[in-house]
Amino acid sequence: MSEIKRVVTLTASALNGLFLCSMLLALAIVLTTAMVLQYGFGEIPCPLCLLQRFAIFGCCFGLIKQLHSDSESGTGISLIFSILLLVISARQTLLDIVPRPGHEYVGSAIFGIHMPVWSIFIALALLMGLAVRLTLFGGLRSAPAVESHLFRRSAQGLAIYVVFICSVNFLSVIVQCGIDQCHTSEYRLLH
Amino acid sequence: MMAAIYATLLIAFILDLLGHQRFAVPCLFISLALCVLLFLWEIYSPVYGFRMPWLQVEGAPLSAPFAG
Repeated sequence: MSEIKRVVTLTASALNGLFLCSMLLALAIVLTTAMVLQYGFGEIPCPLCLLQRFAIFGCCFGLIKQLHSDSESGTGISLIFSILLLVISARQTLLDIVPRPGHEYVGSAIFGIHMPVWSIFIALALLMGLAVRLTLFGGLRSAPAVESHLFRRSAQGLAIYVVFICSVNFLSVIVQCGIDQCHTSEYRLLH
Repeated sequence: MMAAIYATLLIAFILDLLGHQRFAVPCLFISLALCVLLFLWEIYSPVYGFRMPWLQVEGAPLSAPFAG
């Protein structure tokens, strides 16, 4: 009986890790897409867009912390930043929803939907994902950490990639804004 | 300000990666506080404040029971 319980606990723990890694991978893809649009298609992000990226990075921080921790504090951090992402993206959508001089959606639409609206969907998906994770695996306080070498290396690689794109974004912000106010028209340090 | 936000975020990530969680989380929350301040500053308008007067609902004339 205890053997069955142990197998169930290990399976749940592995699924929990897989779930967290999937969420982290999805956010890494979103951030990479934003960078491709910025550098490949010349779409300079607006200040609120940069704050939305920051909120996504905060969610990544929480997920990485949760991957290495038995407590639920990492999920709490991700929830805080998901709500921040929702508030910023909703405010930007309301700001640009009525086209008027000087106020229109920044950047081109993807599948007919502009970036701030996508950010709302991403924030809602994050909140839903975190709620589902807590529902399914939230009681596993005594669950042993996944010992799979491949899994650990994948999670570590993903975390390093997120830190790498965070450092690229930091450099990009320096080039775009300097240490002053950000503008969407140009990279300040290149002019 | 944006550079400061991303700098503290990057420091938090690096501290977490190096295993200094005790310092990483406060650093993250400093960047969060800076982000909230910058967000409020960005959306504040000297004319409208935090209001959004461009969001208008054109209501049809109220029918008799609701017209008061």
